[in-house]
Amino acid sequence: MAIIELKDVSKLYGFGDATTVALDEVSLTVEPGEFVAVMGPSGSGKSTLMNLIGLLDRPTHGKYNLNGKAVGRLRTNQRSKVRRDKIGFIFQSFNLIPRLSAIENVALPLAYRGTSVSRRLKQASVLLERVGLQDREYYQPHQLSGGQTQQVAIARALIANPDIIIADEPTGNLDSAASRLVMEILSEVHSSGHTIIMVTHNPELTRYANRVVYMQDGSIVYDEETDVGKVPARARRLIYSPTAKKSEEDDLAGVSALMSAVPNKETTKKKPAKRKRATKRKKS
Amino acid sequence: MTNGNFKMAFSSLRRSRARSLLTMLGIIIGVIAIVVTLSIGAGVKRQISDQLDHLGADVLTIRPGSTSRGPNYASSGGVFAGLGSAPLTTADWNVVKQTPGVKLAIPLGIGSGFASVDGNKLNSGSVIATTDGLPEILQQKVEFGVFFTEQEMTSHVAVIGKQVAEQLFQENAPIGRVLSIRGQEFIVRGVFEAFNGNPLSLGTDLNSAVFVPFQVAAGLSDGTVPIGQIFAQSDGTASVATTSSAVRQNLSAAHSGQEDFMVLSRGQDLQASSSTVTLITQLVAALAGLSLLVGGIGIINIMLVSVTERTREIGIRKAIGATNRQILSQFIIEAAVLSAVGGLIGVALSIALIFGVRIGTNLHPIIIWPVMVLAPLAAGVLGVAFGVAPAVKAARKDPIEALRYE
Repeated sequence: MAIIELKDVSKLYGFGDATTVALDEVSLTVEPGEFVAVMGPSGSGKSTLMNLIGLLDRPTHGKYNLNGKAVGRLRTNQRSKVRRDKIGFIFQSFNLIPRLSAIENVALPLAYRGTSVSRRLKQASVLLERVGLQDREYYQPHQLSGGQTQQVAIARALIANPDIIIADEPTGNLDSAASRLVMEILSEVHSSGHTIIMVTHNPELTRYANRVVYMQDGSIVYDEETDVGKVPARARRLIYSPTAKKSEEDDLAGVSALMSAVPNKETTKKKPAKRKRATKRKKS
Repeated sequence: MTNGNFKMAFSSLRRSRARSLLTMLGIIIGVIAIVVTLSIGAGVKRQISDQLDHLGADVLTIRPGSTSRGPNYASSGGVFAGLGSAPLTTADWNVVKQTPGVKLAIPLGIGSGFASVDGNKLNSGSVIATTDGLPEILQQKVEFGVFFTEQEMTSHVAVIGKQVAEQLFQENAPIGRVLSIRGQEFIVRGVFEAFNGNPLSLGTDLNSAVFVPFQVAAGLSDGTVPIGQIFAQSDGTASVATTSSAVRQNLSAAHSGQEDFMVLSRGQDLQASSSTVTLITQLVAALAGLSLLVGGIGIINIMLVSVTERTREIGIRKAIGATNRQILSQFIIEAAVLSAVGGLIGVALSIALIFGVRIGTNLHPIIIWPVMVLAPLAAGVLGVAFGVAPAVKAARKDPIEALRYE
């Protein structure tokens, strides 16, 4: 049975003439144990899709079954509980709570399940060891490097043993060495049976996935299975022709389709670092 | 789901210590105001009731002077408050003594000279000429020795206040030793137990007075002793008020109709001032309660700021599965802790302040333990009330927007 089943899911913002379609009747089925990489330009609906799958948001139309249970119309608190029990989040900006030590951050999801303090700290310790940070348990987030911070965040996502891990550009703020470390950990998590859905702008990272989904303008435009360890040709092409950065005005004017069709020489001004990293990795 | 919240609350207080302290200041000041007001009020009431115990409600006080000088003049005076006007005389004493309904009349005469021992004289203190019934009417115990008896009214004996014993004789019970007043020698018969000072009176300190028999005191001067005050005890056959007006009538007749004296029912007087103190205490405590309210508004304000500042944290917590209720309780607990800690600090400072007041003034504020325990609890409850609005704001945040917040 599919773990995630989206059927004709749409997400609209605004009313009347001002309606924006963030997701346009997307259907997606993910089987347990899959590692899905989601790619696409900014504004293509990746984040909205992640928010819906992660139950942070509700679809305007369509059906969402999680583990065969309809969760699309759950109320706020019920969605909180499903998130707590079934979903782990990894964010681009890490999102640890600054005042809590590494181990307390990792243990936090269990607090909302009512686990006792001693037990959740014990479990958090095990998880930190799994991501290789057993000697950093009592460090504050600001005392950790970017890579270590993301490792803590991964441990936090794993502690409640969720069915699905949603990673939104997990390496977006990391250098290449830290990126590789984080991806190796995610890969290990994947091989231990977790389902992972990862948004990325870096085509290189699709080598860790066994399925790549491309999105544009709120729709899935391509969906392919790949072998783990290989960067699919379609993703590879994106390395050299990154999608033009679109401003909000472009979106509003509806030029986005046009823009993405025309190869843009000036390319991105906003994400030069990311590009450089990607190319560097390619050479090495 | 509260097991982590208290720790969280304390750690968030520690993080912004200066801000937390400033926020708590409102609560601290409010609690101090209430606690200290109640303590001083209770202290004054106890001092008054102590005096009531010592000076029964059936005792009238007759003083020289006129009530037309205002009630303040009458009630604030000590033993010699009437010195501004002509003192009472032995004749007046006899009039009071013979008034029907009066069981006992004790004069407090202003004796001449001062006490000295071997050339050491008493710096402050006075000689009081009185009669044998004084301890009974003041309900004041003689700690060492005895008070002089009716038979000794013509003997050269003296009973001294506690301070006289310490200052003149450097001992607690100088019974049988001799002091001299204007060259006449007096044998010490007894030492009074310490008198409780009246916080509201500016009168003579009875602890540094030397009490001598009235008739003997007359021999120290030209044969007359001016009387500063007469205590008259009712014999219970008529009401105190009736006796009081009888005394007033008789004295007035003796003074050819002039009322240059006051007849005060001391007991009634004290009871009245006791209820006044209660009323004032309640009023001031209510005003202090207002300042607590202002402190609470400070808490609302700072919690709103904190919620906005920690929007992202709220987003994270919701993403990893916190329900709205759990976020709500986190922030309410934080407000309650903030305000209860403020209450505790307030109580601690109040206790220090109360001791300071005890040392620095003649007020004796009482540490009321129920109030000390209730104040931080009440502050905590207030904190819950004040924390609700910011906590609701936190709980209602949309997780997606909260996560995007910079």
